[in-house]
Amino acid sequence: MSTLTAGEVEKRIKEIVARIYRVDPSKLTPQTRFIEDLGADSVTTIELVAEIEDAFKIQVPDEDVEKNQTLGQAIQYVIDKLKAEGRLK
Amino acid sequence: MERMKVCLFEDGKEVDFFPLTMTRAVYELRCGRTTLLEKLADAFGKGAEVCLHSRDYLTDVLRERYPGYLVNSLGERDDVLFVNGRWLYKGEQIDLKDEYVGVSGDQIVLIKAKKETVKKYWGLPIPEIVKKLSEELGRDTVKANLAQWPWDLVFANPEMIKYDFERLGKRGIHGKVHGHVEIVGDKDMVYVAPTAKIYPYAVIDTEEGPVIIDEGAVVYSFAFIQGPSSIGEGTYVMMGAKVREGFTAGPVCRVGGEVEESIIHGYSNKYHDGFLGHAYVGEWVNLGALTTNSDLKNDYSEVVVYINGKPVKTGSTKVGSIIGDHVKTSIGTLLNTGTVIGVMCNVLATDISPKYIPSFTWYVNGKLSKGAGLRRMLKTAETMMGRRGKKLTEPQVKLYEYLYEMTRQEREYYIELFYKKAATFTE
Repeated sequence: MSTLTAGEVEKRIKEIVARIYRVDPSKLTPQTRFIEDLGADSVTTIELVAEIEDAFKIQVPDEDVEKNQTLGQAIQYVIDKLKAEGRLK
Repeated sequence: MERMKVCLFEDGKEVDFFPLTMTRAVYELRCGRTTLLEKLADAFGKGAEVCLHSRDYLTDVLRERYPGYLVNSLGERDDVLFVNGRWLYKGEQIDLKDEYVGVSGDQIVLIKAKKETVKKYWGLPIPEIVKKLSEELGRDTVKANLAQWPWDLVFANPEMIKYDFERLGKRGIHGKVHGHVEIVGDKDMVYVAPTAKIYPYAVIDTEEGPVIIDEGAVVYSFAFIQGPSSIGEGTYVMMGAKVREGFTAGPVCRVGGEVEESIIHGYSNKYHDGFLGHAYVGEWVNLGALTTNSDLKNDYSEVVVYINGKPVKTGSTKVGSIIGDHVKTSIGTLLNTGTVIGVMCNVLATDISPKYIPSFTWYVNGKLSKGAGLRRMLKTAETMMGRRGKKLTEPQVKLYEYLYEMTRQEREYYIELFYKKAATFTE
């Protein structure tokens, strides 16, 4: 599996979030809240998790989903996962 | 007949039965009471060694399902009868001469070849052997109907039920049939198996054809079953269900509401009200309450079905949905005329559905996505199977992982189309 930089991870996740929530990616910030700002519900949340799992070839246990309430937290979560697997440049 | 091998083969056209044949060989499709395989094995396989040819990625699941058969192997050298797995065999009398290629139009139906002829090709892939023999041996026309598309199975279902009823060789009521069950028509055209049960005020109508109620099946009160119909082992027909002519339920299904001229392969639920007509439903499908499919367009014009994403004219005004294994629909889902739903999809379409939903996607209120992803879809599959005492085995998991990758490009293409709001699929 290829290695990624933190910047690439952030860019990819922003693209995924923008597509799922139909928003302009340039308007997303680390502080963007999934529920309050993007209107995330159970359906879009599971969709987001699945897209991230597929894009980065990681597994996100259900109990970790609730811990990531903002875009910044989600990005950091993926970065930490990839780092633990030796897949972060 | 001398001892020989009988090899059911796929000839490349099995992909036109997707998504139904993504998870099974084409001869495992059901038409009538049984699968095509059961009919062909019964007709040609007695005293013979049966071999099954299919796509490589199905090898492990086929070996698991049929431990007594060779899969993708001919084993020891022998005389061989190759039989096309798409054959809707209905008892045709075939003269198995020494060696020849039986054709129907330009399609190979069967090839009978002696060991001495086959041995020079032994060891080649089975499709290669079939090709070489078809070029070497003389041809003769045989009377045979090969299914070309999934809806052909639905169209052939009524006559195949009649054939299977005669082939079954059993008649009469042997199960627990409570008082006030009415049989309308010839009582000799009903078979109620010894462990089947029919509750009071159910009606069985054999005026148009036979009705089979198989072992462990239950028909609840106020259900109406019109023949020809076949209710499989362990299947429940719920209270008040309206089962119209030409319906087959395989094993361990739940059938409620209204069904007509459809096939539910097995282990699937349509518990509640809603209409299912001229449809083929795979295994482990759950159709939520009030899920309804259209099988007739409002202008009575020819139904077009998207097979592998390409429009195919059916030549018929009555075609319902083709639903792959492990699909779930929400309450109140409305399926457009001739809709195809791929494997493991989750469909919430309270507005009319698109006509093609690619495998492993979620269609939720106008939006197509990857949904919960394969890992969670497999977990749901495991849960549903567990409720019926079945396990999701390793070969099955590997198959779905393979299919997920096989369908990735198509899925991403359609998700992109929906994202751009470019997909309409109204025709």
